[in-house]
Amino acid sequence: MLTLLNVKKSFDSREVVKGVSLQVEKGESFGLLGPNGAGKSTLISMICGLVPFETGDIWIDGKLVSKNLKEIKQMIGVVPQDIALYPTMSALDNLVFWGRMYGLSGKDARSRAKEILEIVGLTERAKGRIETFSGGMKRRINIGAALMHRPKLLIMDEPTVGIDPQSRNHILETVKSLNEKGMTVIYTSHYMEEVEYLCKRIAIIDDGKLIASGTKKDLNNRLAGGTVLKLTVDSLHPLFIEQLKKLHGVEKVIVQPTYEIDIHLHSKMEIVAGVILLASQQGVHIQSMQLQEANLETLFLQLTGRSLRE
Amino acid sequence: MKKILSICLFEIKRTFKKKSSVVLMFGMPLLFTFLFGTIFGKDADVSFRIALVDEEQTPLSKDITQKLMLDEMISYELVTPDEGKELLAGNEVQGIVTLRSGIANKLRNGESAVSFQPSPGMATAPLVKQQVNQTIQSIDIYVAAAQVGSAYFNEDWESIYERLTVNEGRIETWTEQKAGMSTGNSMMGVSNSSAGFSIMFVMIMMLSMTGTLIEARQNGIWSRLFTTPVSRFQVLLGHFLSFFIVGWIQFFILIALSSTLFGVNWGHTAALFILVTSLLLCVIGLGMAIAGFVRTVEQQNAIGTLVIISTCMLGGVYWPISMVPEVMQKIANYIPQKWAMEGFTKLITEGGTIGDIAMPLIALLGFAALFLSIGLTRMKYV
Repeated sequence: MLTLLNVKKSFDSREVVKGVSLQVEKGESFGLLGPNGAGKSTLISMICGLVPFETGDIWIDGKLVSKNLKEIKQMIGVVPQDIALYPTMSALDNLVFWGRMYGLSGKDARSRAKEILEIVGLTERAKGRIETFSGGMKRRINIGAALMHRPKLLIMDEPTVGIDPQSRNHILETVKSLNEKGMTVIYTSHYMEEVEYLCKRIAIIDDGKLIASGTKKDLNNRLAGGTVLKLTVDSLHPLFIEQLKKLHGVEKVIVQPTYEIDIHLHSKMEIVAGVILLASQQGVHIQSMQLQEANLETLFLQLTGRSLRE
Repeated sequence: MKKILSICLFEIKRTFKKKSSVVLMFGMPLLFTFLFGTIFGKDADVSFRIALVDEEQTPLSKDITQKLMLDEMISYELVTPDEGKELLAGNEVQGIVTLRSGIANKLRNGESAVSFQPSPGMATAPLVKQQVNQTIQSIDIYVAAAQVGSAYFNEDWESIYERLTVNEGRIETWTEQKAGMSTGNSMMGVSNSSAGFSIMFVMIMMLSMTGTLIEARQNGIWSRLFTTPVSRFQVLLGHFLSFFIVGWIQFFILIALSSTLFGVNWGHTAALFILVTSLLLCVIGLGMAIAGFVRTVEQQNAIGTLVIISTCMLGGVYWPISMVPEVMQKIANYIPQKWAMEGFTKLITEGGTIGDIAMPLIALLGFAALFLSIGLTRMKYV
């Protein structure tokens, strides 16, 4: 459905997308994971033809984006990060307007808008002005607007930012259901759990580069052992850190400025006693200790040394 | 075309959904027209009361007196010099106009023939001076004609002057139509205010409407629009059409209401249509040009309001352009409102047709082309 081949983009001589290549199959739910500023939104903008790319190529359903933009725009539905709706107009008016922009007739747009309101669970508020809606309700209409023309490919850019858990669940269930009905979905987020829940395949982006991609299983296998021992200490004694790195079974030690130390382990080895002994030898007080199982967050941390939500 | 119309109709619906827009479009201009029209217009119940002293008492000075008495905005009271001083001292009049002795020679020699002594703090003294000057200037034409006739027929100029003014009815009709003082189409009163405030509030409304371009860019609507199969041309034309139609609805309703409520006769319909259309193109262009230089709606409103108010002052929207110094009148030639007001004046007071407003039309369309080019060049889409 979507193929990116060595796509690059710079703004003011700063390269923000550095040769990304990836493939999304028809009917697949694909996650793009990365922290803020990683280049996810720029990549999305290039896929939907909003921002031109410098090198590489993008194909959607076998058609080159650079040569068939109008046709491709008719195939895709984009849910932007912003609430791109007219606040003084009703939910119904907004949906009808976006339907018209996708070429639906007035009658079709109106009837489809009613279907969409049902899908997003806001039929009761059809005539309510967007400005009177909660953040979650706005987000649901924001998604609905992208579904008006029954797109083959739905691209969602951080669709759940700043909303309540109830609306988030509703959105996740809606997206899952759309995907199950055959719609290809590209879902970008920095919420690991959302991507893990929705997507079969995931790509991790950082600093404009694709640093890992594959199924959740593939990615978990990339973690050396997958387990991380998280410590909170009262001082970051350099000798203590050095000796931690030398402990048997430790793959990597990442020190956070907040007096937190992540010790990545090759396997679930018994090193807790060793860590406690080292700390007492160096006069370091351990305030908390937590053993964390492997997940995308730990993989991201392992690959980049940074947290997803930084 | 369907998408252009959809954008256009959606924007129009959005505009009229806001109650504040309706107040700004119709309520405010009518209120201002009424207030300013009755202050400066012939419809005012209270006019300026001025003492008039005729020192010479000749047919010429009596003729000037008669003409001044016709002024509908200033109420003259013919008095002796002493009575005039007494009235002024008692604050019963706002000033004394004196037709000085030897007025005929003074007019002939181009000397000051009339004096005006306003009461202290009289803010509208320039207005009275201008009204008196207009009358004197119309008399001056006859004096000059009589002088030429005197040399040609070898006859004293006073008798020629008398003969000329006996036949003045025919000539005067034309003069008065030009000046608009007797036809009920005075541009000093409600007509002037109607035209002026319609221009100003249409400009303010268009500024607010063109601000929607910035708003749409700011809240991501344009980015989203360009992910749909809609071109920039369609988006721009849809918005432009909506501005134009809303502007025309506003102008049409203001014209209809000012005609009904204040009896303003806007003149030749086709010419009025073309003039308003040109003005709207110019005003929308100005709004888009300002939008091209600012980043936020707040900046657009602040800068736009400043531009509109100052250019309305310079362009003769609030007061006749002839009242301001010559240098300001020259500057006004570079202000669109000046040309719009000139066009309306020709239509309202002189019964002008399309040919008579050719110059204002050319000027307004020139401004429109300039502003639209700047606006489209500077437009930021995403």
